[in-house]
Amino acid sequence: MIKIENLTKVFRTEEVETKALNNVFLQIKKGEFVTVMGPSGSGKSTLLNIAGLLDSASGGSYKLLEKEMIGLKEKERAKVRKQNIGFIFQNFNLIDELSVYDNIELPLIYNGVSASERSKKVKIIAERLGVSHRLKHYPQQLSGGQQQRVAVARALVTEPKIILADEPTGNLDSKNGNEVMELLTDLHANGSTILMVTHSDYDASFSQKTIYMKDGQVLLEKQNTRNIDIIVNG
Amino acid sequence: MLRNWIHIFLYNIKKNKLFTSLNILGLSIGISGLIFAILYWNDEHAYNTWNPEKEHVYQVINKMGDDLGYWYTNVAPLGPMLKETTPDLESYCYANTWYFNEIVTYKGKKEFVKILDSQDRFFKYFPFDFMLGTAASAISDESSIALSETTAHRLFGDENPLNMQVQYSGRTLVVRGVYKIQEKSAFAPEAVTNLIGNDLKQNQDSWGNFNKGLWLKINDPSKVPVIEKAISDLYFEHRIKPSAKEEGISPEEYVEKYGSITPILEPLATARLHSVTDGYPEGKGNYQFLIIMVSLSVLILLLSIVNYINLATANAIKRAKEVGVRKIVGATKINIVWQFIFETVIISWFSILLALVLVEITLPYYNEFLGKELIIYGSQFYLQILLILLVVIALAGIFPAIYVSNFETLKVLRGNFGRSKSGIWLRNGMLVLQFAIASFFIVGSYIVYQQVQYMANKDLGFRGSQILEINLRRVGDVGIFNRYETIKQEIKKIKGVVQVSTGAFSFGEGARSSSSFQYHDIGIQGQNMAIDFGMLEMMNIDIMEGRDISMKFASDTINAMLVNETAAKLMNEPDLIGKEVDWNDHALNIIGVVKDFNLFGLQEDVPPMAFFHFKTIDWMEYNLDKVFVKVSTQNMDETIGQIEKLWTAKVNTEYPFAYDFVDKKFARTYEEYIKQKNLFSLLNIIVILISLFGLFALASYSIERRMKGIAIRKTLGADTNRLLKELSKQYVVFCVIGFVMALFPAYFLLNTWLENFAFRISISFIPFMIGFVVLLVLTLAVVLSRAYQATRVDVLKYLKYE
Repeated sequence: MIKIENLTKVFRTEEVETKALNNVFLQIKKGEFVTVMGPSGSGKSTLLNIAGLLDSASGGSYKLLEKEMIGLKEKERAKVRKQNIGFIFQNFNLIDELSVYDNIELPLIYNGVSASERSKKVKIIAERLGVSHRLKHYPQQLSGGQQQRVAVARALVTEPKIILADEPTGNLDSKNGNEVMELLTDLHANGSTILMVTHSDYDASFSQKTIYMKDGQVLLEKQNTRNIDIIVNG
Repeated sequence: MLRNWIHIFLYNIKKNKLFTSLNILGLSIGISGLIFAILYWNDEHAYNTWNPEKEHVYQVINKMGDDLGYWYTNVAPLGPMLKETTPDLESYCYANTWYFNEIVTYKGKKEFVKILDSQDRFFKYFPFDFMLGTAASAISDESSIALSETTAHRLFGDENPLNMQVQYSGRTLVVRGVYKIQEKSAFAPEAVTNLIGNDLKQNQDSWGNFNKGLWLKINDPSKVPVIEKAISDLYFEHRIKPSAKEEGISPEEYVEKYGSITPILEPLATARLHSVTDGYPEGKGNYQFLIIMVSLSVLILLLSIVNYINLATANAIKRAKEVGVRKIVGATKINIVWQFIFETVIISWFSILLALVLVEITLPYYNEFLGKELIIYGSQFYLQILLILLVVIALAGIFPAIYVSNFETLKVLRGNFGRSKSGIWLRNGMLVLQFAIASFFIVGSYIVYQQVQYMANKDLGFRGSQILEINLRRVGDVGIFNRYETIKQEIKKIKGVVQVSTGAFSFGEGARSSSSFQYHDIGIQGQNMAIDFGMLEMMNIDIMEGRDISMKFASDTINAMLVNETAAKLMNEPDLIGKEVDWNDHALNIIGVVKDFNLFGLQEDVPPMAFFHFKTIDWMEYNLDKVFVKVSTQNMDETIGQIEKLWTAKVNTEYPFAYDFVDKKFARTYEEYIKQKNLFSLLNIIVILISLFGLFALASYSIERRMKGIAIRKTLGADTNRLLKELSKQYVVFCVIGFVMALFPAYFLLNTWLENFAFRISISFIPFMIGFVVLLVLTLAVVLSRAYQATRVDVLKYLKYE
């Protein structure tokens, strides 16, 4: 699904040149749940942004669904993005002026889905994430956990091929954080491909594979053995 | 603290050079507009304020019946009779309502002087400062003349003029006083004589000859109605009763049939701007235009203040962090408010200085436009400037300051600021207001433009190009018509002269006199259009029915008369030709009907007119003061030069040759409106620029505020077109609301303005359509350019750091 080779990202200011990513290799297969960990500044978020086509690389190759993404124009990237990628952010990034329903509906509108279809899909996904009773509320009226559920609903409503999550539990207390992780695990169990950035070992332990990064390089990859049982035990 | 404020103020100015300079420029344009309006306002309101008698001096104005309007002239017997019968009247004073512009000679030195003819007590009504002589004795008899200081200087140089003799119009007068007019006055003559008495005496029993201005001095203003009633009673006694008796009906029936005169006493204090007529030689102020100027400039200032507020609040978002940090290190709300007001004070101060510079530079053009000599001067003016400064600071400074001081510290520092919705309705409201003002200006200036175009292109019913109107002065009391005939023969000989004729009227000004004539029971107040043969033909004025007067018919100089269409309609007679009318006891036969043409400016309807040869009515020749000459377009300058040569050599050796082209003279009747059009267009451009700039700022601000939303939408896959649509939608809505708000005021006010004109356009939907399209296109241009920029930005910045 994702094949990253030799990926480099250089940030330049007037005086300093920083290599945020330095010859990164990474492969994610369909249905995999991969976590990226590492200290601040290790390049993990940059990696995620490039994977999400929000940022461009300075060199190397990034293939999404066997298509080269490096060098695509903004318009094409937007197209790939809206059709294939769902985002979940640490700070939810919901639009305050829009109701929960409207927020979830938004990506469908941009994907050109008909109104009746949209309403159906929003209702189904809201049901699935347990926010259907909140559809008329505005983001500010919801708890952090509920907001993140809405954000997840919005990420999933287009049935993306891959879900990118940037510290999805970072702004949540442990109870709500757990709920979100359960959700992701659930999605994974149903076959979704997930790439998640986190600080938390605990969160990482939900995934199949953890990649440790430092100074723009991949230090090591680790297969996680315990996953779903943890929740059962915990 | 002050130093810290100044530092950060300067830093922000440097950072936002464009915004700051546009901001100051916008404010200073708004302020200069108001300064201009104030200068004009002060000038107009300065009239007669110096005069200690202003509350006691009243001009007698007569509201004539039958749509004849207001007359500021009066009959000779009214003053003395009123004084006899009314104890409440202190005194009366007759004077001309115009100046003679004549030559005064001292020891061979000739000067043109604007001379007012009045009575001995004139200086009690207008107590100018006397440098030499006294107000009481300056014009005590017919042989006296009082001169203004400048006139005295012109005639006498450094000599003492007192008791010196000067020649004026064949008389020798003694200078008995020299006065100085320091301030604006309704009367500002260069010399005053007391020669009116003879004329008053001749007319002392004539209750029908309204030809002198009359002023009354009333010590107790509460007695004004009593005196008005007394004048009414005198008219009843001396005008209505005898006329009714003559016609064999009761006075009441007479009033019923012909109406009566209502006298109005108008105080000097308000005459300049609020008079119902125009009865002073220095003219009347254009109150309507003054109000237009003041309102428009207030609107523009308001617009620029709104802009300032929008910009300041928009900028404040960028300074939220500064405010947050200040608060954390101990600044109070009041402290922050003062800081921001301090900045507004500096900016306003700059703007006022810049505005004064702008005014100073453009004042000559403004003076030319108003026909005035305004200067920036006086303590009153500087007080007003200070007041403007305070108002600007209050309006522009306090709101943004309070807005900023209310930022919530934590939110600001945590970084998710800039999305707060506080004050958004106010900003949007102001935006709508701006749209409304801009719409009003666009629509208004287009309508004004249409009316002016209409006037310039209207068929006037005569053709005035190539026709010279030459002033002919009376020399002595010899028959002026014979003199004219001699001159005519001479001029005709000049090469390039096509035709010569004359008429006792002037295009754009009207006839020199007006009399009423009777047809059966119908009385018509007609313009006395005495003419020479060939006048109508030369002016390309059409005859609808019958014929023009002609040399071939001997009777045409005895009892022939033509009327114009308007008069014909009033006479209500289907077949007028050959009918007889009673023209002040002359029985005249109608020989033709003249097609209506515009005698006055297009502001006024075509009046009823009666045409006859000068010889038909013997006193008509006293109204002959023009010679009309048609010249060929070839070598026109040379032809005019020849006429001038002839004129100064043979016709009048003393006075300069003065002429005008008839079409140009007529065009001057609406010159004022052309100026108004130009002013409106100029203001329109300013308003549009200021509004667009404001819109740009507000759109920038609002888009800045919505950047995160834009970033999220982009992440979710929104393409540029869709984002542009979403971003500009609300502005289109505001634009429409603002436009709709301006619809009624624009229609109503412009319609009121158009009521100045008897010949006017009707307001169609076109100006509104044009206004709307222009506004919408400009709005979209500004918003889309800003929105497009927004869609180009780096998404990550907003997703990450907000």
